[in-house]
Amino acid sequence: MEWIGLANYAVFMAIFICIYALLSLGLNIQWGFTGLFNAGIAGFFAVGAYTSAILTSPAVEGRIGGFDLPVPVGWIGAMLAAALIAWPIGKICLRFRSDYLAIATIGVAEIIRLVIKSEDWLTNSARGITDIPRPFGDLPYVYSQLAYLAIVAGVLLVAYLMVERQIAAPWGRMMRAIRDNEDAARAMGKDVPFRRLEAFIFGSALMGLGGALFAHFNRTITPEAIDPMIATFLVWIMLILGGSGNNRGAILGVAVVWIIWSMSEIVTDQLPHEYAVKAKYMRVFLIGLMLQLVLRFRPEGLLPEPQGTREEVSEKSK
Amino acid sequence: MNKFRTALAATLLGATAMAAPAQADVKIGLLGGVSGPIAAMAPAMIDSARLAVQQVNDNGGILDGEQLVAVIGDSACNPQNGTDAATKAVNIENVIGIVGPHCSGAVLAATNSVTIPAGVTVITPSGTSPEISGLNDNDTVFRTVPSDDFQGRALARTLLLRGTAKVAVAYLNNDYGKGLAEAFRSEFEGNGGEIAGFAAHEGEKASYRSNLAELASGGADTLVIFDYGDGSGLTMLRQALENGFFTNFVGGDGMKSDAPIKELGAENLTTFLSSAPVGEKSDSLEMFSKAFADVGGDPSAIFATTSYDAAFMLALAIEKAGGDKAKVSAALREISNGEGEPIRAGEWAKAKELIAAGTAIDYKGAAGDHNFDDKGDVPGTYALFKVSGDGFEVVSEIQ
Repeated sequence: MEWIGLANYAVFMAIFICIYALLSLGLNIQWGFTGLFNAGIAGFFAVGAYTSAILTSPAVEGRIGGFDLPVPVGWIGAMLAAALIAWPIGKICLRFRSDYLAIATIGVAEIIRLVIKSEDWLTNSARGITDIPRPFGDLPYVYSQLAYLAIVAGVLLVAYLMVERQIAAPWGRMMRAIRDNEDAARAMGKDVPFRRLEAFIFGSALMGLGGALFAHFNRTITPEAIDPMIATFLVWIMLILGGSGNNRGAILGVAVVWIIWSMSEIVTDQLPHEYAVKAKYMRVFLIGLMLQLVLRFRPEGLLPEPQGTREEVSEKSK
Repeated sequence: MNKFRTALAATLLGATAMAAPAQADVKIGLLGGVSGPIAAMAPAMIDSARLAVQQVNDNGGILDGEQLVAVIGDSACNPQNGTDAATKAVNIENVIGIVGPHCSGAVLAATNSVTIPAGVTVITPSGTSPEISGLNDNDTVFRTVPSDDFQGRALARTLLLRGTAKVAVAYLNNDYGKGLAEAFRSEFEGNGGEIAGFAAHEGEKASYRSNLAELASGGADTLVIFDYGDGSGLTMLRQALENGFFTNFVGGDGMKSDAPIKELGAENLTTFLSSAPVGEKSDSLEMFSKAFADVGGDPSAIFATTSYDAAFMLALAIEKAGGDKAKVSAALREISNGEGEPIRAGEWAKAKELIAAGTAIDYKGAAGDHNFDDKGDVPGTYALFKVSGDGFEVVSEIQ
């Protein structure tokens, strides 16, 4: 009996890790490979979540939609919408250098969040959207969780393989060249602004997909879910800790942070009551401390970016 | 080697012996926003729910004299942590029912993705969003706090009765503030009142002077604030007083907090009224207040009574259902449907006897009678409070 519960919990965590891994992969494309400091993850996450919610939920009076479309349409729509929003933002903001870009993207994400929180006709404002269908949601609890895990794991695997392939291709080397030395890349005739925009849109689409998967998992999306703390900075911590510039590191970072965050509560619950409640605040501190330690002692992350040597490259090119 | 084996066997035996009574415990989950935006309100809510658990255990325990154990989870007021905490409570701790989560967004996510599929009964003491009424929940989601719709409408009618016909409304832009404000506006305007300003504001800002100036430009002298009195509502109240934007102030239950009195002084708040849910001046409320004060709690803390009632009713329902998880939600309706021997706050021993004898019981809670409607909502009773001395005093009941 007990192990079923543990297995259920593990399945839940795995679903969550897969969803956040998509965000982390998206950020890895932007920051890890191209050096774009996007501090507005929550914005693209929200666009994806709400787009899919509006497309797939049943019709409701008082707001746009829902259109009751099949779930895959919602997910594709989420990616397209996030990419579409990213395009003008990137077009304007990517001219800024790293720290200014961060400020601009924070601003954009806040604008998106406030629009979502305020516009009744679009997102039902602060109350959020409910009745979002979940694939295989009618199965009994355990099976529906497993089915959803299979779906998100499949999506993550496809996304991972595609990103890996893209990064291994000449495109990936070009991106790293732009990241490490923009002027040199430009001197080699690379269209730097266009390439950066490409990476920004590509990464944002993945974040939108993560948002959509999250909304369907909970069958509901409310503005509380797109708090910058939990949807932007947590993802940054995951990526930095796992190792930016390495896709496996990005996924590992998500797993490590989420497992520590979630399981630490089980540990602290063993304490006497007075301390158990206080210890819940400690968990927030723990994540911060972890980041500090990683930055101090292993700034390249748990799984650092593989450094290709000249020999390896020439081996491959033969 | 032999010694080691004996020691190992003894440890294992000891462990099973230790584990045996723990297995027999009846567990309920208390999910609350321990960290996050309502961290200031959560401790009182959790403590009052724990008081109910304590009373159950002190008066004969639950079922066959077993201990009721409350497992506390941090739902942090967001869906991510809400589902995480609910998953742990349902799967790791095997709880029979859950009190919480505290915020509507967390309630919607946790019920939709965890407790409804798992068939666990949930009673939220503070999730006030009207969306919760519409959940497709197999009758497993309840609340002891009225939907914002009820309070907003009741307050609008009362203000009109008191002769206030023109107001400006400022509300915190979340599901709580917005739900109240929308309900208030439709009832107020529907009954002939005039809304001279209606605006949302974001929390945690340093200054609301421009918002207030905008609202005051409509010409109303009464400002209705739907916000939290220990957060941005306090800032707003202070700045409106300092700058003389308005003369009269009315708040929802979130504004009925000690913070404005402590910060601004009772003498400056003579024109401040606040509505809040109350028990119908019942013995039950007094019994709860006394018991909670005895353990060092503040009975007037926001949502303390609803949290207590939620936990106590869950215990009654578990007793009635004989500990069967699947029957808890049906039992919850039976123990508080307005028919049967009345049970007041803390009367666990009496309730236990009556349930054992098969007599129908009807729980009359500290926050109201809690006769659930078909959506699992309660209508709630409200009173209008004014500031008096260091606390609040009832001016009149409102319906």
